[in-house]
Amino acid sequence: MAGRKKQTKPGDAPKKTPASSAQQPAPPTPQPASPAPQAASPAAEPAAPAGALGVPQRGTREAKTYTSKPVPIDFAGPEHRYVRSDLEIYGIYHGGPSYEGRIFLNNPKADQTTARTRENGYAGSFYIFGHGGCLGDPGHCEVNEENRDEYDFRSPHPLTPAKKKVTVTNTLREIAKTNKTATITVVPVVTATNELCDDVDVFRFENMRFVSYNA
Amino acid sequence: MANPLRIRLGVHNLSDAQIAAFRSSYQQMMGIADNRGYQYLAGLHGVPSWYCWHHQQNAHSAQQLQLFLPWHRAYLYNWEMAMRDRVPDVTLPWWDWTLRPPRQSGVPQIFSVAEVNGQPNPLTGFRINLPSTRPPLVHRTARQPGPPNELPAQSDVDDALARTDWNDFTEALEDIHDNVHGWVSGDMGVVGTAAFDPIFWSHHAMIDRLWWLWQARNGNGNISTDLLDEVLAPFNFRVRDVLSVNDLGYDYAAAQSVVPIAGGAS
Repeated sequence: MAGRKKQTKPGDAPKKTPASSAQQPAPPTPQPASPAPQAASPAAEPAAPAGALGVPQRGTREAKTYTSKPVPIDFAGPEHRYVRSDLEIYGIYHGGPSYEGRIFLNNPKADQTTARTRENGYAGSFYIFGHGGCLGDPGHCEVNEENRDEYDFRSPHPLTPAKKKVTVTNTLREIAKTNKTATITVVPVVTATNELCDDVDVFRFENMRFVSYNA
Repeated sequence: MANPLRIRLGVHNLSDAQIAAFRSSYQQMMGIADNRGYQYLAGLHGVPSWYCWHHQQNAHSAQQLQLFLPWHRAYLYNWEMAMRDRVPDVTLPWWDWTLRPPRQSGVPQIFSVAEVNGQPNPLTGFRINLPSTRPPLVHRTARQPGPPNELPAQSDVDDALARTDWNDFTEALEDIHDNVHGWVSGDMGVVGTAAFDPIFWSHHAMIDRLWWLWQARNGNGNISTDLLDEVLAPFNFRVRDVLSVNDLGYDYAAAQSVVPIAGGAS
């Protein structure tokens, strides 16, 4: 089947242990009180059964941020004919909550309250549309792609880790004027979560890289 | 004589009659429990069937399976057909979330007003009834939208449309799409339940429209030929079958005004 043969090419995300500690969501965590979502209130609807899953809500807890070690950025210096740089992030877990991943360069103290300005090193955001936890029997959300052979033509598991790309050209160019390295900080802001999701250890990934393009 | 193309209109440009037809189609679908109904079709996306394609990656190959746009085009086609089974002339309108006040502020009013003519507005939400999932999923959908100025802006759309490489474009557009899901939040905010929210379909019509606008500039671009024969399960399409919206019988426009033809015209 086209596009499904086993092969390795440059750019393919290698399978690695996620950078964060846990691969599977943590046990269900009690959610703090949140503003009530907007809901219409049609009359006479039967009550939900015991243990039914609630409506997803915005996160109310501070999710863990990630900061890289300093990365060389000499490719972005003014002496290069540099027109675009993307931060590519591979192997992102998306089985849990939805969130915005705010990227700050050379600002390891950035958090959810940090203004998204170039002065603060803000370089852009990516957005994860999360599955919202596992609504299946045990094993339903386990990704075992590495166990499949070349004759397994079924679709990939829906939770095969994601790739995201954020164009960070302008902020990187500015930082490269005075720095040889940059740290990358990702601040997750949870936009939708529920009782099944770990809304603190949100951003889990395998690796990331800068890819730059010259004119 | 062939039927004219169906025109999908902007939510902000619908006439009162078109809004009524749109609401009626959803109201009727919500009353059908079999495979023609709202719950069955919405359930193909996430819970319980999980057919949707997002965050395209292929662990078997460096050639990523970029099926996000084709799969959702096929899905919307089937959805619109089900709408038209109930109300023959209705089409699926698109929600342009780039519009700013005074034209629009956040969730369009037709999706948020609680009642219409004394009756509950079917576009506000849907009661999901899936007691057999673990845990049970039985509730009426709700939203928790963010500030309107946090919705994607026209400049974000322009940036995506300016990308001429297929992979680059589809990834940029999917990220905008992901942003809107999180902005609406509530059930729309997670893959599992998003399609049960009535605004889901108009959000995706906007995404489909933007792909069509990109195609008007770029054709099919450098889309991989390997992708063209991928099947868009569970629908009766491959990728190549959904590349042209005109071949699927519809088009996008801001507005439509049908010219009445008097009988017996000379």
